[in-house]
Amino acid sequence: MPARTGDGPSGAASDAGLALLPRRAKRIRQTIVRLAATPSGCHLGGSLSMVEILVALLGRVMRVDPRAPKMPERDHLILSKGHAAAGLYAALAEFGFVDVETLVRDYNADGSIFTGHVNAAVPGVEFATGSLGHGLGLGVGLTLAHALRGEPNRTFVICGDGEMGEGSNWEALQVASHRKLTGLTLIIDRNGGQNDGPTESILSQEALVQRLDAFGFQSLEVDGHDLPALCAALEAPVVGGRPRAVVARTQKGAGVPMLKGKGPHYAVFSAEHLRRALASLGEDGQ
Amino acid sequence: MSASLAPAVDLAQAPEAWLAAHPELSSRLVFRHAAARFAQDDTRVVFLEADLGGGGDPFEKRHPQRYFNLGICEATMLDMACGLAHGGHTVIAHSFAAFGVMRACEQVRLNLAYARANVKLVCDYGGVAGAFFGPTHHAIEDLAVLRAMPNLTVVSPADGLETVQATQAMLAHEGPVYLRLGRNRVTRLDIQRPPFELGRAALLREGDDVGLLAHGEVGVAVALDAAKLLEAQGVSARVLNVHTLKPLDEEAVRETSSRTRLLVTVEEHNVLGGLGSAVCETVCSLDLGRRVLRVGIQDRYDPRAGSHEALLKGHGLEGGQVAERILGVLPRTPVFAVGSEPRRD
Repeated sequence: MPARTGDGPSGAASDAGLALLPRRAKRIRQTIVRLAATPSGCHLGGSLSMVEILVALLGRVMRVDPRAPKMPERDHLILSKGHAAAGLYAALAEFGFVDVETLVRDYNADGSIFTGHVNAAVPGVEFATGSLGHGLGLGVGLTLAHALRGEPNRTFVICGDGEMGEGSNWEALQVASHRKLTGLTLIIDRNGGQNDGPTESILSQEALVQRLDAFGFQSLEVDGHDLPALCAALEAPVVGGRPRAVVARTQKGAGVPMLKGKGPHYAVFSAEHLRRALASLGEDGQ
Repeated sequence: MSASLAPAVDLAQAPEAWLAAHPELSSRLVFRHAAARFAQDDTRVVFLEADLGGGGDPFEKRHPQRYFNLGICEATMLDMACGLAHGGHTVIAHSFAAFGVMRACEQVRLNLAYARANVKLVCDYGGVAGAFFGPTHHAIEDLAVLRAMPNLTVVSPADGLETVQATQAMLAHEGPVYLRLGRNRVTRLDIQRPPFELGRAALLREGDDVGLLAHGEVGVAVALDAAKLLEAQGVSARVLNVHTLKPLDEEAVRETSSRTRLLVTVEEHNVLGGLGSAVCETVCSLDLGRRVLRVGIQDRYDPRAGSHEALLKGHGLEGGQVAERILGVLPRTPVFAVGSEPRRD
């Protein structure tokens, strides 16, 4: 598998053609399953479920530059569901922030920056997350910082649906809408699963869109694997001074046929699992 | 106070004169005025509040665009503080110690300490200053919790002047700081002291029998009272104001240990985990071979109503009580070896 590097300054954003994005999604999934086949494995289901969300953001919606991940004009990505680090790292590799072979070699290895929960030392990562319920508050503060200076930088926070059980998220939603932080977008990866099982059997997250709307967000629900729909939702104009929320309906383990309907929360792949998963994804990335 | 004098005196240029012109202000209010004044020179400073500003905050009055009362949401306040700091701001976040430190403890750990965010968590109601509000509003464990967090600087000023100095120093310091204040007192120590420096304990009084190490308005005032009472008994006490609990001035502990024969810590905090523990740890790690008497909250909650003073007395945090305890221990040293086994230190 060839290492992917950046497409140049604002390379990700310049890759505006939607047609290329599915291929990027497929390559990210290849990397994720390779990370699942490392000795420690990875949070597989929730990494695969959010691939299209990351592709839409890094490949089209966000202003980012893999060669200057800290450029002052950048938009910010905060993966609040930081256990899905493998998914974010794989996406950052696809878009040229990190080298994919280095990632696969070093993931969870002694002394590596590629920890099992998101590490702020990784280029393209703003905050260490994975203790749940922090990302939205961090994003609210960061959005406020830009708003105070009248800067156009935007902040995108990805939360898990199970993560919405954390009360701190609902605190942060209130503050964001009260402060009319239009630069903030919350994306909920509504994959319906959490550590101990189906979200709906543990703590129901029904009516999320209505709840977010009632909290003062401009909210809508989309198919979280439909790249054009995701991009449209994330690029639609925000009206009425409201922050934006997108509930993305997804499947745990999405895109890897052998996981269909049983996408695990965490997995350690055997060599045979990896071979089958890569075969189904097309090793050449096409 | 002369109302006409107040505007002419600048808090930053002449803090002592400013404090003299505002004798009624407690340290927690002095802090608010100091923050408002220093933010005038640094437009990066923003102030976050979680519905405990009490109204009429001087920072809000002077810098309304940089003052955010977020409502009752300490966790989000501290997550936001980190986000704002990441966005280039110097952030002050205020709450009561019981809520800012302990309700939002993981936010402090992850998004202040671990992230090394440029956030100053300022909490009042330290110790039992909340008094009759009860243990829900007491904070006798905050220093123990925060001292265990890497990267955090922990400061507990002794009076109004030190609150001004600590506010200025923490805003100039790049990184997370916890500033612990009380609630009720209007302490103005009339005492010579060295220039304020984060991490450097301040020698307030020289002496060679007992070394008293204290922090905070209650701790330092009680230590100084005890030292005076001991002096009347012919016991000489060295008093050190350890306003910075972390990083602890270990050299000051070593020097005090070498110049005296008994170390005594005085603080409005549980004897577990605060300055008492810090000094014990230092005595052990530096092999100083000194006994340490820890004066403070004796590992119990205080569920009954009462004034701050009454609660302090119940915990032995009064000058006379401390002097008595010290005299009860000192007879075992050669100076007071009357009818008991001399202690060979």
